[in-house]
Amino acid sequence: MVKIYSISVLLAPPSQTSTVLASASDLSQFSFYQKGSVGEFLAFFARTVVERTPQGQRQSVQENNYTAHVYNRGGAEQLAAVIITDQEYPVRPAFSLLTKILDEFIAKVPQSSFNNPSSISFPDVQVYVSKYQDPTQADTIMRVQQELDETKIILHKTIESVLERGEKLENLVERSNALSAHSKVFYKTAKKQNDCCVVM
Amino acid sequence: MPVQDRTHEFIACVDSIISRSSIPSRRDAKQKLLQNGKSTTKSEFSRMASGIGKEISSTNLKLGKLSQLAKRKTLFDDRPVEISELTFIIKQDLASLNKQIATLQTYVKQKKSQGAKSEDGKQVDEHNKNVVTLLQSKLADTSVAFQEVLEVRTQNMKESKDRTEQFMYTATSAASQPPSNSVLFNPRGDPMGDGSLSRFDSKRPQNGDMLALNLEAAEEGSGSQNGGAFMQMQMVEQQDSYIQSRSTAIESIESTIAELGQIFMQLANMVAEQGETVQRIDADSHDIAANVSGAQRELLKYYASISSNRWLMLKIFGVLIVCFLVFILVS
Repeated sequence: MVKIYSISVLLAPPSQTSTVLASASDLSQFSFYQKGSVGEFLAFFARTVVERTPQGQRQSVQENNYTAHVYNRGGAEQLAAVIITDQEYPVRPAFSLLTKILDEFIAKVPQSSFNNPSSISFPDVQVYVSKYQDPTQADTIMRVQQELDETKIILHKTIESVLERGEKLENLVERSNALSAHSKVFYKTAKKQNDCCVVM
Repeated sequence: MPVQDRTHEFIACVDSIISRSSIPSRRDAKQKLLQNGKSTTKSEFSRMASGIGKEISSTNLKLGKLSQLAKRKTLFDDRPVEISELTFIIKQDLASLNKQIATLQTYVKQKKSQGAKSEDGKQVDEHNKNVVTLLQSKLADTSVAFQEVLEVRTQNMKESKDRTEQFMYTATSAASQPPSNSVLFNPRGDPMGDGSLSRFDSKRPQNGDMLALNLEAAEEGSGSQNGGAFMQMQMVEQQDSYIQSRSTAIESIESTIAELGQIFMQLANMVAEQGETVQRIDADSHDIAANVSGAQRELLKYYASISSNRWLMLKIFGVLIVCFLVFILVS
C-alpha cells in the first residue's frame, strides 16, 4: 500500500546540524498513543539522513518499513527536502515531488526567515502529503502513463467489437445474397404467370 | 618518409659555397666536419633525437592498430582485453617519450648555456632547438590521434551497449556498467584523466618550456582514479539513475503513444474493409427491392387481367351452361 508518512523541508548547511523549516505528516494509521513517538522518530530520521547527504545529491535510505528519499539541494539557500514513505512508493515520483516542493518553498518563503523556523508557514506541505498519497494521480508522468494504458485497453476492446461487427456484416451479406436470388425467382414466376395462362 | 642518403649533395653544396666564399681560415675545420659527416660519430644530441624519433614511429604503428581495433563495430567479437592493453602500452610509450623529450630539451639548454659563442655553436643550437620542436609536434600529433581513437572507441561501446539493450532488454544494466570501463569510458572529452582538457589544444608548443603533454600527472591521475572514479561513478550513478529513470519513463510513454497510433491505424483499416462489405450488402438490397417490386407489378397485372377477364369468363361460362343444357335436353 503506497503511503507517504511525512514530508519535511530542512535548512542543511554543510557539516552542521540541520533545522526543520517546514514539515507535515500523515500519521492517521497509527494509534493515538503511537503518534507522538512515531512523529519524533520521523523527524529524527529526516534530520539524520539530511545531515549525511552531500549537497546536490539525492539518496534513498531504508529503515525497517520506512524509506526516506532525500534531496539535498544546496545552492544559495542550502535547503534539503525529505520524504518518508513506505517501501512501495515509487522512487522517481518521490524525487520529482521533492524538487517541486523545494522550488515552491524557495519561491514562496523569503530567505530572511530561514533563521526563524517557527515563523515560516508553508501549508502546501500538508496539501502535498494528502495529494500525493496516490502517486499515480499526482505525478504527471505517471498519470499520463496510466491514462495511456487505459486508452490502450479501451482500444483493444474496440477492435474486438469491430471484429464482431465484421462477422455480422458477413452474415448479412450472405443473407442478402440469398434473398436477392429468391426475389428474382419470385419475379420470374410472377411474370410467367402472366404469359403462360391465356387459357381462360 | 623514406630515408635517403643525400650526403653527396650536401658535400657538393658545401664545396661550391667554400669556393665562392672568402673564409679560408675555417676550411680545415669545415673539411673535418664534412669528413666527419659520413662517419658514425654522431653527437649525443642526435643519438637521443633519433632514438626518440624511432619510438615515436613505433608508437604511431601501435596507435594505427588500436584505431583499427576500435573501429570494429561487432557486438560479440569485441576484444576489450586487447584494446585496453594496447591503450595502456600506448599511454606508457607516450609518457616515456615525453620524458625523453624533456631531457633532450634540458640537454639543449645546458649546451646553450655552456657552449660556444661561435657561429658554429649557434647554428648547432638552432638546429637542436628545431629538432626538439619537431619531435614535440610529432608527439602532440600522436597523442591527438590517440585521443580521437579513444573517443571513437567510447562511441562504439555506447552503440553496442544500446544494441544489446535492444536485444536483451535489460535497461537496468546500463547503470551498473560504467565502473568496469572507467579507464576508457570517462566523462566526455576527458580521456586521459582529471581536468586536463586544454592539453590537447596546444598542438604546437611555442616556447620550448611548455611541455605539450602533462602525461605524468595523467598517469598518476588515472592510477588513483580507478579507485576514485569508482566512487565518483557511484555518485554520478545516483544522480544519473534519477534522471535516467525519468528518461526511461518518458520513453515508455512515447512508445505507448506510438503503439496507440498503430492500433488506431489497424482500427481504421478494419473499418474500411467492413465498409466494402456494407456496400455489397447495399447493392444486394437494391436488387432485392427491384425484383420484389417487379414481381408485384406482374402480379398486379395478372390480377388486373383476371378481373378484366370476367366478362369474357361470363361469356364462356354462359356458353358452357348452354352446352350443358343442350346435353341434358338431348339425353
